[in-house]
Amino acid sequence: MSRRTRPALPPGLIMPLIFLLALLLPWIPLGPSSNYVLRVLTTAVLYMILALGLNIVPGFTGLLDLGYVGFYGIGAYTSGLLAIHYDLSFWWILPLAALNGALWGILLGAPTLRLTGDYFAIVTFGFSELVVLVIRNELWLTRGPMGLPGISPPSLLGHTLTKDWEFFYLVLFLLAVVLFVVTRLEDSRLGRAWFAIRGDEIAAQCCGINLIRYKVTAFAISASIGAMGGAFYAKWFKFIHPDMFKFWESILILCLIVFGGMGSIRGTMLGALVLIPLTEILRAVLPQELFSARYLIYGLTLVLMMRWRPAGLIPFERAQEALARRAEARIRSRRGGEQGP
Amino acid sequence: MKTILRVARLSKSFGGISALQDIDMEAREGQIVGIIGPNGAGKTTLFNCLSSLYHPSAGQIFFGDRPIAPEFSSKKKKLVAACALVFLFLSLLWTPIFWSLFVPGALFKVETVMLGLLLLGVRFFTFRGLRRFEIWAWGLIFLFLAADICLALFLGGRPLSQDRFLGTSLPLGWVGTPWALAALPFSLFFGLQLCTAPARRLFGFKIGPDAVTRLGMARTFQNIRLFFHLSVLDNVKIGAHCTMRSGIWRSLFRTRRQRAEEEGAEQEALNLLRFVGLEQRALVLADALAYGEQRRLEIARALASRPRLLLLDEPAAGMNPQESADLIRLIRRIREKGVTVLIIEHDMKVMMNLADIIYVLDYGRMIAQGTPEQIRTDPKVIEAYLGGGVHAPA
Repeated sequence: MSRRTRPALPPGLIMPLIFLLALLLPWIPLGPSSNYVLRVLTTAVLYMILALGLNIVPGFTGLLDLGYVGFYGIGAYTSGLLAIHYDLSFWWILPLAALNGALWGILLGAPTLRLTGDYFAIVTFGFSELVVLVIRNELWLTRGPMGLPGISPPSLLGHTLTKDWEFFYLVLFLLAVVLFVVTRLEDSRLGRAWFAIRGDEIAAQCCGINLIRYKVTAFAISASIGAMGGAFYAKWFKFIHPDMFKFWESILILCLIVFGGMGSIRGTMLGALVLIPLTEILRAVLPQELFSARYLIYGLTLVLMMRWRPAGLIPFERAQEALARRAEARIRSRRGGEQGP
Repeated sequence: MKTILRVARLSKSFGGISALQDIDMEAREGQIVGIIGPNGAGKTTLFNCLSSLYHPSAGQIFFGDRPIAPEFSSKKKKLVAACALVFLFLSLLWTPIFWSLFVPGALFKVETVMLGLLLLGVRFFTFRGLRRFEIWAWGLIFLFLAADICLALFLGGRPLSQDRFLGTSLPLGWVGTPWALAALPFSLFFGLQLCTAPARRLFGFKIGPDAVTRLGMARTFQNIRLFFHLSVLDNVKIGAHCTMRSGIWRSLFRTRRQRAEEEGAEQEALNLLRFVGLEQRALVLADALAYGEQRRLEIARALASRPRLLLLDEPAAGMNPQESADLIRLIRRIREKGVTVLIIEHDMKVMMNLADIIYVLDYGRMIAQGTPEQIRTDPKVIEAYLGGGVHAPA
């Protein structure tokens, strides 16, 4: 039924294997540049988390969201402020930041998700700009353009994380959590309702799906994942500044999922894994005089991609076919069970 | 036989154009009811009104004994409803108005305005959004009342020299009591008005297409509206959405209940696909299906919500004689399952074979109704179809 041959490995094993390989990565001797590579990869994994979160709204539900970075910023500042003022542990901050993100997602989504298409995109864009403006101007809370320095690093069982590989492991753990959430939701009643809304809103309504409710749910979950990413970012970078949450970031994350394949989880992750290190690789590869042309190459990659694979590296349809294969395995095993003794 | 659907004096106009005028019709349990008419007669508009995609301009639709359309049948009622909404709005605006009257300058402080707007928005949207859920709305009214009373007690009992919200030293001690006293009757009266049964009968209410499906009325579309990028099985499982319950947490943790529910839905979806003859195609994407198969898949998806009434909008459009004969058999089998079928069709052969009773629409009016034999010989129908010709249709 699928055009490709089946992978030799059972599909349930691929992800854990990749994770295992990633866990081994810090121990590959790369000489003096090892920490640098690790930091780039940590950024890439962070963007994978963000892209997986954003993917829920434009990818699963089919709504263009240009204000994702607003939730990222909210998460980062929640994390930073809680760490500085209340000295909370990272493991408390993380769910609190996610909750705060979800809260703002609901507050923004409930009234505005009645809008369709472009209008909704404009509202989200406005929201992210608002977040930056509030951060910049409410000096008493966020110190505005002076930024928020001195955020304590996270700790685990009394041990404070400082080394690059420790942060890499931490972000991998977060990725595993987010991946768990999105894969479970993808193959559930909730996920199917999202896909239905993406496919055809009127038909979805006539199937008994309450549009607003499921859109707000998608928005809230996406926002909370974004805020989790922000919380990690603040704790990792130990300094946050309003300029880090500009509109450009939203577009970048959107590019990642468009590049990887909107609505497909693996595609989204692959997109982040390819595009985020690309600028760093170009920095190393390109000669000095061509160095500033790296964004040109970046843009060119996107253009070529859209020309040859407009649905992304792993298109939505492939993801749905994978889901169908999973269903097939389920049905087959159930039938086998029935026929057995 | 019980009446399952009753349409009373239903009208729908778009701007100045009236698509439907004073439609009266009825479907009894277990019947196959046909609706025919030339192109542009308003058949699909009628279906859209039934499934609440459009809200009728006048008239009422009863599904079982439940009204499912807003009942703005006269101008007077519309006026009353509009006045009530204005008063509701005013009652909610009362807080800022009160501040502006009794605390000079307070209204123009940014914080006050924002707080006032927030309160206003919260109340307005909760009242508006929760009108459908009576119990919730009752609860919220009491919550708001409690909030008002608490505010009155706190602000009224304690002379505040420094007010946080206003940022000035305004004597707010005496504000609370009169505010609450003034707001109480408004909240009470209009809140109750909007969510009790007599008020609803007066003002009408809206019910969305999703709620109509949940009540047991499913439909298909004239231009096929499947979820083309999803698998055939998932299409049917989405149709079963309102028969399932599990939400985020159950899906996240794959509780036993959720797994059992998913398994049941999957099994039922497969059964339905077998029922329409698509079980071999269950795991391909829906856009890989042939046209006739897509039509059947849409029927399976509609059946998955376990409807009591099924609306089919031109199911035989674009089918060859063999396929439409299969379709007739399928629709008969659906009726045998105990589902009432309401069907729009152009293909006269299908209609005459299938329907127990036929309604004929022309230019938004019901011009004839009766058994297929009566319709076949009705001069008005012949005129509508053939423009005063001599042959009976088909």
